[in-house]
Amino acid sequence: MIETGIPKLDDYLLGGIPEGKSLVYYIYPGVEGNVFGMQTMYHTVSNGRYGVYVASSTDPRMIREQFDEFGWNTDECGDRFIIVDAFSGLIGADSRERYVVSDPEDVNDLTQCIKQAMEDLDGPGVVVFESLSTIMDLCGESETLDAIEEWNQYAMLYDHAMVYNFTAWPYSEDTLLHIKEDICNSAISVGGISERVIFGQYFGILKADWMDVPRKCVLFKIVRPGGIRVYIPKILVTGPFNAGKSTFVHALSNRAVSVDRLGTTIALDHGHIDYRGFTADIFGTPGQERFDPIVKLLSGEAMGVFLVLDSTNAADFVRGKRMLEITMSFGLPIVIIANKQDLQGALTPEEIRKKLSMPTNVPIMPVIATNRDGVFEAFETLVDMVMEVD
Amino acid sequence: MTYNFGISRLDELIGDIGGGTNIMVIGPPMSGKDDIINIVAYHGLIDNNAAVIVSTREPGTNVLEWFGHHDTNIPMDHIGIVDCVTRTLGFGAPDTENIKMASSPVDLTGIGVKISQFFEHFWMDLQLRKTRLCINSLSTILMYSNLPTVFRFLHVFTGRIKAANALGVYVIEDGMHDDKTIVTLKQLFDGMIEIREGEAGYQIRAVGLTPKPTPWFDYEIDGVNIILRG
Repeated sequence: MIETGIPKLDDYLLGGIPEGKSLVYYIYPGVEGNVFGMQTMYHTVSNGRYGVYVASSTDPRMIREQFDEFGWNTDECGDRFIIVDAFSGLIGADSRERYVVSDPEDVNDLTQCIKQAMEDLDGPGVVVFESLSTIMDLCGESETLDAIEEWNQYAMLYDHAMVYNFTAWPYSEDTLLHIKEDICNSAISVGGISERVIFGQYFGILKADWMDVPRKCVLFKIVRPGGIRVYIPKILVTGPFNAGKSTFVHALSNRAVSVDRLGTTIALDHGHIDYRGFTADIFGTPGQERFDPIVKLLSGEAMGVFLVLDSTNAADFVRGKRMLEITMSFGLPIVIIANKQDLQGALTPEEIRKKLSMPTNVPIMPVIATNRDGVFEAFETLVDMVMEVD
Repeated sequence: MTYNFGISRLDELIGDIGGGTNIMVIGPPMSGKDDIINIVAYHGLIDNNAAVIVSTREPGTNVLEWFGHHDTNIPMDHIGIVDCVTRTLGFGAPDTENIKMASSPVDLTGIGVKISQFFEHFWMDLQLRKTRLCINSLSTILMYSNLPTVFRFLHVFTGRIKAANALGVYVIEDGMHDDKTIVTLKQLFDGMIEIREGEAGYQIRAVGLTPKPTPWFDYEIDGVNIILRG
């Protein structure tokens, strides 16, 4: 398997792209989808394999700088990072690359170069196309479609994985259908959520012929440095007064702010976390009953919920359960944080489950928020649950 | 939601231009089209519009300087420039708040992404509801690509202009393309600003925005004003 390096996508693809198979990132215009191919390329070469990057609309020097912007140092990859320069010939510029397509508008010239690069690799690797749509624009739709079949077959001989960034401009229906459904072993849709403007981005699997396709759609953000991060716009942190919600939000977040008075949250806590390929905005509610109207307002559109309980204060558990009702959290993925596990008299997660009569499919995680013990494990658990929701 | 060009007599004849309108500016070389498109963007800026300018001939810093030079009081944070030049010259300049770098005029995918990012920023972060997209120029893009490719690109982005109730203004060089190219591209636009060479200089008129074309006017560019005569 050749991993894509895209968070969650490899899980959904059962490990990545099988050697000899092909994948197309089918990108809607205006969505920053080319980073998918770049991330797959860098992930592959940084894991010791070979990667060939077919540059069709960018000067190779600039391509290396684009990788640098994400913190991906191509120099460290040495000769495992190879560029086929199908751009310089277009503007009549010289090239320092080993593989240069002298006439990028001639698909045969391009094919020859790509095949040569594939032959020269010292083992299975990945061939990533910066922009298949640019090649199609320059060489023609049908000519390019024929060439893709030829490239894919050639890659099979050498067990290379083929990865195409394709921007779905309004080509002919047949061409788009062919790209989306036929020509590659797998297709990943990379789209935008729009109303007036594109304000969110997602990816999902359209096709993968080596498995049953999970019907998942994942929101993502692109961060520099870093690359693609699965994005969860809203995780709610709620619970009774003095359970440690603000401490939990701050422990989890890379940056956080609280609106409080004398240490008690009176409006909200807000934090942002960027952790192991995931990024999320965290909203903490106040715990006192007099703020319940605010709690209701804060809880809308959450994708997952942490219920924070003080493990030493069983008397407040009922209030905790009540807060799940107020926030209308039932039905959403919930993780219960059994906080203050370091204090005397703290109940174990199983004791808390009994007292709350919580079903076993609701995880109860032992946490000491003051020193971050268990907070990231709890985050990973909740993220897994959010990602499993169809 | 309406717009105007900021060219007083033309604006009076045309009236308000509805949101979602796409306009081609076509004229001969050296007729001041760069200034005209910047002036259209400028008059939007002073009316609290955002301006997204795709520059295929001038580095983004030069375009930004034009605005700073003519008026230091305009809200510079409302300007977004997609620079298709600097990286082609081999300079690895990073993106700035005002300027996002596209790889080259070939990189329509990248240009499209940068336009969308500015639209999102102005709409979501700055809550600006009126945006002017100025592409200067389609002729350069056509030099690196071909007509169907540019048509597909414009098909998407003229649609986005309509969806966002924005104003799209696209410059094209007269005399540089065959009739088929111009006729094909015209399908995508709601009107045109035409420029031609007259006896005493250049003349301008609007077509398609009123039942009949406006008269031709001699014009002179004076800073951020276009003075019409005749």
